[in-house]
Amino acid sequence: MSSTKSQVVAPAAVGVSWQSWLGQAAPIVLAGVVGAAVPLLRDDPNTIRLLFIAYVLVTTSIAWNVLGGFTGQVSFGFAVFYGLGAYTTALLITRAGVHPYLAYLAGGVLAALASLVIGVPAFRLRGPYFAIATIGVSETVRVIANNLKLTGGASGFRVVERRPFNQLEHYYVALLVALGALALTLVLARTRAGLAMRAVRDDQDAAAAVGIDPFRWKLIAHALAALLTGIAGGVFARYAAFIHPGGVFAFQTGVAILLMPVIGGLGTLWGPVFGGLIYGIVQEQLIARFPQIHLLLYGILLILIILFEPGGLVGLARRVQRRLSAGRGRGS
Amino acid sequence: MSAAQVVNLLVAALLLAGVYAIMSYGLALAYGVMKLVNLAHAGFMMLGAYLTLEAFRRLGLDPLLGAVATAGVLWLVGMGVYWLLVRHVPTGDEPTLPSLLLLFGVWLVLQNIGYLIWGTQDQAILTPRTLQTLRLGPVTLPVVRVLVFLVALVGLVVLHLVLGRTWFGRAVRALTQNRQASRIVGIDVGRTAMLAFGASTAFSGLAGGLLATLYSFNPDFGGPFLLRSFVIIVLGGLESFAGVALGGLVLALLETFSVLVIPAGYQLALSFGLLVVALLVLPGGLPSLFAWRRRL
Repeated sequence: MSSTKSQVVAPAAVGVSWQSWLGQAAPIVLAGVVGAAVPLLRDDPNTIRLLFIAYVLVTTSIAWNVLGGFTGQVSFGFAVFYGLGAYTTALLITRAGVHPYLAYLAGGVLAALASLVIGVPAFRLRGPYFAIATIGVSETVRVIANNLKLTGGASGFRVVERRPFNQLEHYYVALLVALGALALTLVLARTRAGLAMRAVRDDQDAAAAVGIDPFRWKLIAHALAALLTGIAGGVFARYAAFIHPGGVFAFQTGVAILLMPVIGGLGTLWGPVFGGLIYGIVQEQLIARFPQIHLLLYGILLILIILFEPGGLVGLARRVQRRLSAGRGRGS
Repeated sequence: MSAAQVVNLLVAALLLAGVYAIMSYGLALAYGVMKLVNLAHAGFMMLGAYLTLEAFRRLGLDPLLGAVATAGVLWLVGMGVYWLLVRHVPTGDEPTLPSLLLLFGVWLVLQNIGYLIWGTQDQAILTPRTLQTLRLGPVTLPVVRVLVFLVALVGLVVLHLVLGRTWFGRAVRALTQNRQASRIVGIDVGRTAMLAFGASTAFSGLAGGLLATLYSFNPDFGGPFLLRSFVIIVLGGLESFAGVALGGLVLALLETFSVLVIPAGYQLALSFGLLVVALLVLPGGLPSLFAWRRRL
């Protein structure tokens, strides 16, 4: 974990010098180097698998943050995009023999299109009503996927590939996707686009009054988030080689995608990354033996965060840092 | 389809509507008084179902009485949850996102405590009544559904009396209509909100207990019913208690008769589709159709 200072997304830092861009991009590059070096230091299939899953989760977590953290729209329905990405990729690879990387992209694009189909009616609703509608959408899509012939229905779909399985390739793809997502949030955090999104989050009516179309920006944020989530779903599907609606389309998947950024720190650059990494690693360690304790812990954590530290882990770190520096200031 | 079949389906829908209404009143109450979207509703329903089961297995309590007793227990649980958690998050004239996420966390906690205590296997409450039927001419009535309907009806009558005749009920209705004005006329908002939240969870528990006598359940069972409750209160216009009953009836009718045309696997999708349509086309709910009441 690099210094907490660099995790702070400068509010409204639009058009600031390239040095400050560099200051925020450097930790991302560093994280990429560290991630790329891990297999060289520790070439153990279990570690690689654990990190692969963590990266996929981090990508979805960053994606949710674009909609939930920047634009302030809570969605319980990201399993829809994750599942669509997974199934699109799986079908394209198995049935059409499409190159996997193209298939990932297609999964993401399809998810983004789906986000528009959902968003155009659902963003007519404000705040909590949108959230409730996403619960309905998520369950509806899962039920349809369960009954669809094309995908093998509830019994799942096996991804068959004609090339040998190379775990490291999967690892690096997942790492690159996660870094790409992170870079995207950095760009969002520092450009007018991100500013518009945050304006919509903070006060929709005021944003509209200064010429920002809230509906349009919500749609854009939703589509970007869906694109990333769909790609993550595809990356996961090809690695897992078997997917079923009860997994990728499950309501719990959408819940996990929501919990990670909230726990890490909404609207921050690094919060969703830490949230995703911690969630992924803890889940993989606990889920085999205590699947319930895992979600129980996160439920309690969610309650505590809402009550005491809405800024999540990043907010907590900042608070600790402030305390420490205040203490030092008095001491000297 | 013969006339007798239509009547049978109508009766089945009506009996279902009773349970649906009672299940949705809790949600409407919490929404009306505190503008809370109570996602933990599903967790409280699950708790109600299991408490009813435990009372039946360990104490031999009749499940219908058990459901009523459970409602009492959950009243206290709900007030505890309110006092401990809910009163600390901001609420306003519109539901706030922190309150939504908080109650979602409560749902997660309740659900997984349920898994820890009762495991993942499906449970059912079977009494000698479960398979009995009553024949009235061409109409066949499952006894347990009729009894559940009656209990639900009593619950609704009690709620209406409380809301209509007591000081607490008047405070609840005043808060539902205008929070600020209620404060001015001297309503203790905190106290009323706590009691109302308790009442809301009590209704969730009662509904859970009653549903447990009709269906098998596991710790995850509240989810689909939570969504149905949403459909119903949205159809009912969110704040109108008569609207809730109407919404329950519409959903029950739609679900019952859709089986004729849509495969049963898609039944769940139907109610959620209805939710989205209702939110979009009728944001004011069914009562807004009776425009003269709304457009004052």
